[in-house]
Amino acid sequence: RAVNTPASRPVTRRSKSYGRSCVEAPSYFWQTPGHLAVLKIPNSRGTAKSQTITNKVDPEHIALLVKNEWKLSYITPLHHFRHTRLKSYSKHLSAFIVAEKQQGVAVEVGLEAGFKVTFSAVLGLAETDEDAETVFIQIQSKPVFAAVADAPKVVWRGWLTCVNGDLEYLRSLPPDFVSLPLFCTSGPESLTTLVKSWFERVFDCNFGCLALNSTTLNWLTALWTGCHPTCNIRHLKLAWSLPTQPPLDVSYTVNPQDAWELWNSIHPEESTDDRIDIQEVQSFINGLEAHFFRHFKIFLSAGTLVKVSTALGSAHVDGKIKIGNSDYITTLLTLLTECALLKMPA
Amino acid sequence: MADLSNLAGLGSDPSGEIDSSASSANNRSLRLAEKEKRKGEADPFGLAVKYLSQVEAGTVVRGNDELERNMLVVETVALSKGLPSEVITVLLDLALSLNAGTGNCARVLKFLIPATVVPQEAIVKGVSWLCVGKMPMNAQVLFVRWVLTVFDLIDCKDNLRSIYGFIFSFVTEENLCPFICHLLYLLTMREHVHPYRVRKLLDIQAKMGRQPFLTQLLALYKVFRPDLVTLSLPSRVRTGFKNHNSTWKVALSAVQRKNKGAVLVDQSLSLDVKEKPSTRKRVRCHLCNTVKSLTEHTLNSNKKVFCLQELRSFRELLENIHNIELPAQMGSLLGSALALHYLDCVQDESASLRLNFWLGHSLQEEFLLCPVDGSSDNTSEACRFLSTILFSQQFLQEGFSSTESFLYKFLSVWDGCLLRPQILDLLSDIPLMPSFYMHKLLFEPLKQLYFTSTVFFKVCMVLLFFFLSVCLYQARAWPCVLPRTMTLSGFMDSVMELVRFVGLLASEGLRLENCHVLLLNQTLAFYETVCDMFLKYSLPLIIMPPAGVFYPALFATDSVSVDRLGYIMYRYRKNLTLAKKQEQQREQTFHISRNTYKEFNRNLQAMVNSMWNSWWCIPGSDIEIDKDLISLSKVPEPWCRFDLIHHPALFSYAIEFHQRCWPERKNVDLGSIKTGKYWNWYMEFLFNQGFDGLNNFIQTNTGHSSGLSSQDDRQPTSQP
Repeated sequence: RAVNTPASRPVTRRSKSYGRSCVEAPSYFWQTPGHLAVLKIPNSRGTAKSQTITNKVDPEHIALLVKNEWKLSYITPLHHFRHTRLKSYSKHLSAFIVAEKQQGVAVEVGLEAGFKVTFSAVLGLAETDEDAETVFIQIQSKPVFAAVADAPKVVWRGWLTCVNGDLEYLRSLPPDFVSLPLFCTSGPESLTTLVKSWFERVFDCNFGCLALNSTTLNWLTALWTGCHPTCNIRHLKLAWSLPTQPPLDVSYTVNPQDAWELWNSIHPEESTDDRIDIQEVQSFINGLEAHFFRHFKIFLSAGTLVKVSTALGSAHVDGKIKIGNSDYITTLLTLLTECALLKMPA
Repeated sequence: MADLSNLAGLGSDPSGEIDSSASSANNRSLRLAEKEKRKGEADPFGLAVKYLSQVEAGTVVRGNDELERNMLVVETVALSKGLPSEVITVLLDLALSLNAGTGNCARVLKFLIPATVVPQEAIVKGVSWLCVGKMPMNAQVLFVRWVLTVFDLIDCKDNLRSIYGFIFSFVTEENLCPFICHLLYLLTMREHVHPYRVRKLLDIQAKMGRQPFLTQLLALYKVFRPDLVTLSLPSRVRTGFKNHNSTWKVALSAVQRKNKGAVLVDQSLSLDVKEKPSTRKRVRCHLCNTVKSLTEHTLNSNKKVFCLQELRSFRELLENIHNIELPAQMGSLLGSALALHYLDCVQDESASLRLNFWLGHSLQEEFLLCPVDGSSDNTSEACRFLSTILFSQQFLQEGFSSTESFLYKFLSVWDGCLLRPQILDLLSDIPLMPSFYMHKLLFEPLKQLYFTSTVFFKVCMVLLFFFLSVCLYQARAWPCVLPRTMTLSGFMDSVMELVRFVGLLASEGLRLENCHVLLLNQTLAFYETVCDMFLKYSLPLIIMPPAGVFYPALFATDSVSVDRLGYIMYRYRKNLTLAKKQEQQREQTFHISRNTYKEFNRNLQAMVNSMWNSWWCIPGSDIEIDKDLISLSKVPEPWCRFDLIHHPALFSYAIEFHQRCWPERKNVDLGSIKTGKYWNWYMEFLFNQGFDGLNNFIQTNTGHSSGLSSQDDRQPTSQP
């Protein structure tokens, strides 16, 4: 690699040659008690809008995303990742998986030894120009001694995405990085580990668990409830876990119409600007909790919201999601991309 | 062990003495013999191994106490620490040759726990003993099981593969067959698959039935040569090979766990081209991982490039600096001086960003998201990790931004104890930033830690002292290292804020801790740096210590503090005089505020008045106390309680001086020191005790150079 010294580089030594400062742009640093973040946490966001995503994205691809329950992780930006090289990545990753699986055994790589990896780009999910296109990975397995007629079985799926990522953050990355901060997986943990370690080796990136905090779940509750008039959410199921001895799990199902009426009383549908404020979300949750207290004399606010689910999808505090309706996928992915970006180090 | 004794005999005298006389040769051999003897005494293990290596065929085993004793020594070491590879060779040979009897054969095999690796030659020799056919069947099985257990620890397997045929011949042994199949499975390469071997296995299969181990081996053969194995195999082989390591599992894992720490130290800092270690810890995996990026590799394959890890010296780095390929994982560079040199030189933004991403991620995952469970193993590893970061930062003389942002997050959850030295060191590498952020990110959490720590948190002071000195270190070159977004005035503001903050902490701390001597001294050490900011660091800033620091030091009961205060006041005066002169001469833009002069004069006055003029509570000063109140204390002559004679810190010196001057006097009258020549003598006596700070202070502020000026000259000279 040739040493790159553009003429425009300042002669004086940069004070920050080892990374970017987190305080240089004043809006960047934000700290709230209990939640630590380098990026700014938004206090308001747009209402969930239905859009027929299949107009933009291949319906086959969408069908793949909607089916499964996904486990979430965050990834630091990928170095030297190219959407044009997906084919060779497929080859390399399958060779890597075979080699790792057969560790200690001398097996010639290149034989059809069981795993077939396919990388594909899911075009159209990206919302802004800065968003990188989503990449979908599928691993098929064919047992070594299977009969010729046996069809290979999909054993693992995963995808990397970025929807409406923070523009300032994405623009600040040098061009040889691609940020696809959200990684969703479904399949055996051992394969997930292998895929992650391949990515870490090839693109010098790192993975971490993406747990969803209660603020995120609150947001989802409100956003999904707000969709009820346009798309029946069927039910609003919430699960709380209360720190009693023994722990008390509360499952709370609300009639969708009732939930929507409560939400409408806080955030009227006909209100001119279609932005939702965090205070509105909080009072919506407070309203639900107060109602529960009136009946059962239990303060739900003393516990933690563990899960929220509607017909549009579900989200668990451990970082597991299910997408129920593809028309609202953008809203969900925007929120999750934001959560993943908040985890970025440096 | 033979090696050991040879080494001592052949090697030159390590003490390096040059003996040329003839008689010394005699001495020398004597000394060597002595040394060997001592070594033997100190190392019963070495002796025992040596004994065991010399056991010959036909040795009586039953009732042989010496053999038993030595065996026991080696066994204990083996089970606690594991055996070095050369000892493995010796013991394996002893066991399989049956020189120590069949009973001991099994015993030795059972405690043959390797500390690091197993030399493949030992295994090859073992197989040859197997071929001799003397061993009883259970010993043979035990041996092959042992080989399977330590298979991953065998240093190299090529010779073992070349005796594949010999090993294969044992498949016909019914009892050995399952284990031999497993061993073959691990060793088989494509060239080992031959029609006659396939036939043999099929024969055995016909005899023994579809045993899983045979099926598994045949399946592997089919993978290599599908043309040779035509038989149809079940699509899913249910069970593979069983684990045969039950005999050694516990001991082996215990030894490996114990040795891990020792091995780690050199692993973590070396950049050798090594395989990834099998441990799955996140922190370390990058430090020795050197897999190359696919993309870079293919791009550069036609050019001659050097991997950063392969460079050994700075010279090599300089020669190849234009053809250097960065590793696929920048994290592996952390801790390597050469790599950091390179990184510092090329200023490749994405390279440093990659390093930062990895570092930030590791710190975050280790310390923020996965709480440290407090086990000592974990902490020591974390400690090593932080030390590596510290090393790199100190090497670069600059902190990584990811460490910085990690620290801001970590400070709000830190208990002030966990890995305190490392965290404090890391904190001292934080660059100065605008005062608003400094307050929010640093001062607030630090203040909480400082005041809520029930134990005396003196270390916090040490930290801040270091912190500032590092800031000033940066400040030495401030025009060029000024952060991009910081103006000079912003920078000065930050330094000022910092000093004020430490002043505040110090005065509150001193109050809370009853002017603890250590804290007071640490504070004064801090102000020794602060008072010289203008002269030493050319920072146009002079900040006085707050009253909460000044007066405790002035009235301290230990002489060191008082002396330090004298030195500090002396340096302040120097700095202020020079600043004033420069301001007048060159009309510089910077301006020391009037208040600073006022503050200094007030402090100076207080100090001179109490120590020199014997009047410490002058009306109108900071410490004016009502006369009636003082008289209530019934202290005789209260005004001179803090002069150079009666000051509690100097009192003992005055007494000593008094005793020396008038040894015969029964009644101590300290007042008599003040008269005539005694006063000058006393000054000289005092300054000879090493109170240089006080000496300087008194000389510059009263014109009294010890022994020369008269007693009457008690007026402080004009103030700047």
